[in-house]
Parts: sequence; C-alpha cells; structure tokens
Amino acid sequence: MAEDPSATTFSVTDAGEPLSQRSKSQAQIIWEQFRKHEAALIGGGILIIMYLMTALAGFIAPYGLNEYRRFPVTAFHPPSKIHWFDPETKRLAKPFVYVTTAERDPVTRQRVYREQPQEGEYPIRFFVRRPEHSYKILGLFRSDLKLFGVDEPARLFLWGTNNLGKDLFSRVLFGGQISLTIGLLAVWVSLFLGLLLGGVAGFYGGRIDDLIMRLVEIFDAIPGLFLLIVLASLLKDPRNPLAQAFGLKMTSAETFLMVVIVLGLVGWGGLARTIRSLILSIREQDYAQAAKALGASESRILWRHLLPATASYVIVVLTLAIPGFILAETGLSFIGLGPSEVDSASWGLLLRDATARGISIQFVPWLLLPGIPIFLAVLSWNLVGDGLRDAFDPKKRR
Amino acid sequence: MLPFIIRRFFHLIPTFIGATLLAFVISQLVPGDFLTQKALEPDVRPETIDRLRQQFGLDLPWPVQYGKWIWNIVRGDLGMSFDSNQPVINVVRRPIQNSMYLVILSIVLLYAVAIPLGVYSAVRQYSIGDQVVSVVSYFGLAIPNFFFAQVLILGIFVTRSWTREAFGFNELLLPVAQMTSSNYLDLSPLRKFLDILWHMLMPAFVVATAGMAGFTRVLRAQMLEVLGSDFIRTARAKGLGHQTVTYKHALRNAVIPFIAGIGGLLPGLIGGAGLVEVVVSWPGITPTFLQALSRQDIYVVLGLLVVSSILLMIGNLISDLLLAVVDPRIRYH
Repeated sequence: MAEDPSATTFSVTDAGEPLSQRSKSQAQIIWEQFRKHEAALIGGGILIIMYLMTALAGFIAPYGLNEYRRFPVTAFHPPSKIHWFDPETKRLAKPFVYVTTAERDPVTRQRVYREQPQEGEYPIRFFVRRPEHSYKILGLFRSDLKLFGVDEPARLFLWGTNNLGKDLFSRVLFGGQISLTIGLLAVWVSLFLGLLLGGVAGFYGGRIDDLIMRLVEIFDAIPGLFLLIVLASLLKDPRNPLAQAFGLKMTSAETFLMVVIVLGLVGWGGLARTIRSLILSIREQDYAQAAKALGASESRILWRHLLPATASYVIVVLTLAIPGFILAETGLSFIGLGPSEVDSASWGLLLRDATARGISIQFVPWLLLPGIPIFLAVLSWNLVGDGLRDAFDPKKRR
Repeated sequence: MLPFIIRRFFHLIPTFIGATLLAFVISQLVPGDFLTQKALEPDVRPETIDRLRQQFGLDLPWPVQYGKWIWNIVRGDLGMSFDSNQPVINVVRRPIQNSMYLVILSIVLLYAVAIPLGVYSAVRQYSIGDQVVSVVSYFGLAIPNFFFAQVLILGIFVTRSWTREAFGFNELLLPVAQMTSSNYLDLSPLRKFLDILWHMLMPAFVVATAGMAGFTRVLRAQMLEVLGSDFIRTARAKGLGHQTVTYKHALRNAVIPFIAGIGGLLPGLIGGAGLVEVVVSWPGITPTFLQALSRQDIYVVLGLLVVSSILLMIGNLISDLLLAVVDPRIRYH
C-alpha cells in the first residue's frame, strides 16, 4: 500500500494539540458496557422495584403483617376477585369487590367463600387512611396512609390469606424486608472473612497459608446444608454461649443477625480461596515487584496494590453470591430455622405454611405465591452479576 | 500414580480430624443435652438420668468425650443413639441408602439431559434453541428446589382434577409423597423396585434440574472452546463428518472436567436433595438429620455429619484421581 507522506506529517503536528475530550474513567467504561447488557438491565430494574416495594411495605401493603380478623372468618381466603364491569350496565366501572362469607362445600368439606352481591359493591379506593393501623417507613416516618384498600366489612386479599386469615400479599411485602436484605448483609460477613484470610494466605504464603487453607478445607469437608442447619439451630437457642456472653435475649433482630453471621460463616471459604489465588498471581507481577523494590512496606503493597487489583473480580463474585445467600435463607426458614418469628415472616417461612400438616395444596394453591418473589430476586441478582462480569471483562467489550 | 494416591490419602487425615473436631465442638456448644429433655418426663427418676449420663459418658469433660468418640469411629463404631437406644449405624443406614437412590437417579437424569443440551447449544450457538436453553438454565438456577417440588406437586394434583373431569381418571400421575406405596410389603421384589423408582421420579427430576442449569452452561462453554481449537479444524479439513467431529473429537475433550466432577457430584447432590426430601417426605438423610437435631440425639447428628463428610472427601479424592486418568496433560510428581 502506498503511504501518503503528507498524512503522516499531518498526524504528527496534530498530536501536539490538547485533546478536546477527556479519556473515560474505568467506572464510565464499566457502566457503558453494563448498559449494553439488556438482560442485566432488566434484572437491575426488577431489583430496584422489589427493594423499593419492600422498603415501602407499610404503605403498599393494605394490611399489617399480623393483622387478621376472627369474625367473620377469613382463613384460607382465596385471592379476592376484582370486578371491572358494572353488573347492571355491563360497562367498565371503577374496580370493586364483594363481601364474602364462608361456607362448607357439601362434597369436599372444604371451606369456600361466596360473594354476596346483595350487600353492595365495595370499590377499591386509593390513598386511604387507616388511623388504627399506623406504620413506620424504614423505622423513621410514622404514617397511616395506605396506597389502596376497601371499606369494611369487605376485604381485599390480592394473594389470598393463610390459615389464620392474614393477608398473604401484605406478608410477602413485609417478608421481603428480611429475605432481600439478609443476602446483602451476609455477603459482607463473607467478604470480610474471605478478604482477610484469603489476602493474608496469599500474601504471606508458607505456614500461615497452609494453616488458613487447611481451615477452608475443614469447613469444606462438612456439607454446607448440614453445617448451616446445625449452626442455625445452635445460634437460635437463647441459651447459646454467644447469647450468654453478650447478654442477648434472642429477639427477632438478634436472631436475624445470628442468621446473617451463620450464612457468612458457611460461605467465606470459596471467596478466601479465589482471593488467595488472585493475590498469588498478582504478587508476581512487575508493578508489585517494582513497589517492593522501591521499598514500599508490606501493608502498603497489600492494601494499595494487591487488593485493589482484585476489586473487579470481587464485585462480580459478591454479586453472584447474594442470590445464593437468599436461597440459603429461604431454605433455612422453610425448615423453621430461619430468622423469622411472629413479628416477621421471611418468604421461606411463608412457603412453609403450604406444607403444614393437614393442608392439601390443591385447595389452597395461592400459598405457593411467595415462591415467585424468591425466584424473581434470585434470577435478577444472577442476571446483574453476569452483566457485571461481562462488563468488567476486557475481552468481552462491545 | 500410587505415591500420589497415598500422599493425597494422608493429606485427608488432618482435614478429617479437623472436621470431626469442628462438628463435635459445635454439638457441645448446644445448650443442654438429650437427658435434660428426658429429665422433664414425669415418669423418669433422677437416678435413671444419672445412670444414663454415666452410661453415655456425658459426665466426662468434652475433650475426653471427643477422644473416645473419634477412637470408636476409627474402629467403625458411630456410637449409640439416645433416642432409639440402638447403634447409630442402624439408625442412619437406611436414610443414607434412600438418599443415595435419589441422588443416583438424579445424576443419571442430569447427564442424560444436560449433555445433549450442552452440545446442541454449542453447535448451534446463538440459534433460537440455544437461547431457549440459556433462558431455561437461568430459570433453573433461580428456582429454589423445595419450591419447585411444591409447584410440581400442585401440578400433579391439578392434572388429576382435569383428568377426572375429562376421562373419569381419578389417579395421581406420579406419587407426590413417601418412598413406597401402602401395599409395598406385599409386592414381589421386582415390583418393589419399580414402586420405589416410580416414587423417585418427581423428586429426582427436581434435584436434577438444579444441577442441570449450571452443567449445561459450563458444557456449552467447554464445547465452544474445544470446537474453536486447531485439531478440530484439522479434523474437518481431513473431511471427517459433522457427527464424528462433534462427538468423537470435541465432546470427548469437553466432558473431561465433568468426568472428573462425578466424584464431587455424589455428596454434593446429597446436600442438594435435602429440602426436596423434606417436601416429599422422602425418608432420607436430611429429614433424619433434622429430627435427630430437634431431639438432641447428638451421636446421630454427629454420625450423619461424619458419614457425609467422609463421602465428600472420598468424592473429592476420586475427582482428582479421575482427572489424572482422563486428562493425559495432568501429571503428578
């Protein structure tokens, strides 16, 4: 190909001028890459909506977590049928519900609820006040304003009710406060242990490395589910040594913290192992050697050069670990060892209702609905994690 | 090879001691013991409690108890169950067997479905089929095992109400609970086997789907890597057929990590079968474990922990050995 000498000269003179555009920062590049990952964006959107909804649970939920009515009975009420058409004019009307009353089905002996149109239509009203049922948002703002509701004696059960007649939709919203946050918290416990022990093992090597890796192996040698179950049942007991040492009474908040610690304790091994191997390989790279040759102290090399180099990898691993913790917590709650007690109800505990003694799931299928938010949350966290992994990977830049 | 095996085996001993010690210490931290529950029963005299405490050695300091216990384990004795008053080995043998059946069937299902799917989505990369497989994999990863089992049970019941209305057929498509039918004891051996297999299908399918998602994705990535390598191009250039190249050349290399992974899969799936066993009342290892824990039958809890961690370690050892056998590039010195 013939070279044009004038073009070369031109580019040389051009290089002297200041760049009109600043080069992109690392964060900008990652964000641009992440935005091209449609599935990850959808996942992120779903997560934002879910976290917002659970944060505002008191406002969105039409009823309280443990609110129920003894009479007239509402136990095992199926999801309320919302009517959109006026029965007389057959026109689209303001959505309304009917009052329902319980009856026994003559054949199956199951309780069934019949609508009572003669008692009038109860339209769904928005921004209603329920002074006797005030709540706090994020533990800060007290309010009694509800997004929607119907007048008594009608009741609006979007997802049906449980054996006591508590509204499942409201319980799912409040339950998310546990199920969605526990993964976020447990991941920090794992990160702390994994970063500390993995970093130390990889950096110092030798005896310390052997010792720490042996510890990881020991934790690995006990099946995770069983370790989780034993630790959870130990730490949930108010007489456990930790509770006695710190004078804890195992209130629901303390039990919640205990389960966070248990999840983190069971999950740190893999993280420590990957961080160790990353540190081992980075330690040999030229810039780390150069820092050492320049006389940098060990802690400076570790904190300024080695750990930041693992950051992108750690972020991805952590994002992909959160859904695992969510699944583990719902599993623990499902067998009754989770953080949920009377004044809180995680999604796993809600699903446990569906397997309770004497329940035939074909008559109360709505009790399985709390599985859907678990599925959505885990799916979305996985999508976001995969999106981040691709965004951080220079080979996958688009 | 032999020195490597021996070295690996000795390497396991400290890990084993560490794991049993960890399990034992945790079990000792549990406040109270089986006898504190027993003492609450009205017809039990305090002398009986003291006698039992001595008999089970519960009055000794815990390092001594651990020493006795671990020495017995080395000799193959897992101790006595407080609750049923018989050797732990008798209590845990059947549940472990039952879990094994479930796990083996689910591994067979896993391989039978995931290998063709992985190969397909690699060979037809970015096709509609590939995208469907990848979406289904994401779903499989996200759905909790126990919830999936519950949904399938509901589905089986709903199918029955349909078939009842359409054809008057009032039987469940698949059993949804227990391991055997009520008339199990009257069946011939072959029918007994088929009966258990019949009961296993649904839970084994659930357990298999959990592994399937990850398996298919990794196999796809492996296949893509192998299909892009030089020897595949050479094989094609020689004029070999598509089938031969895909299955004889590419797949054989792509499955290497999975063959090695078989060892790790077995104990891993026992843990994975866990909550599904609870949902379908499968008399397996997890329900037994939960029951023993709630009754503070410590030696049964410890026995199950020890057996499952032995399985885990043997599984990992087998993985390492298989990897060395299958992959000639790996050499141990």
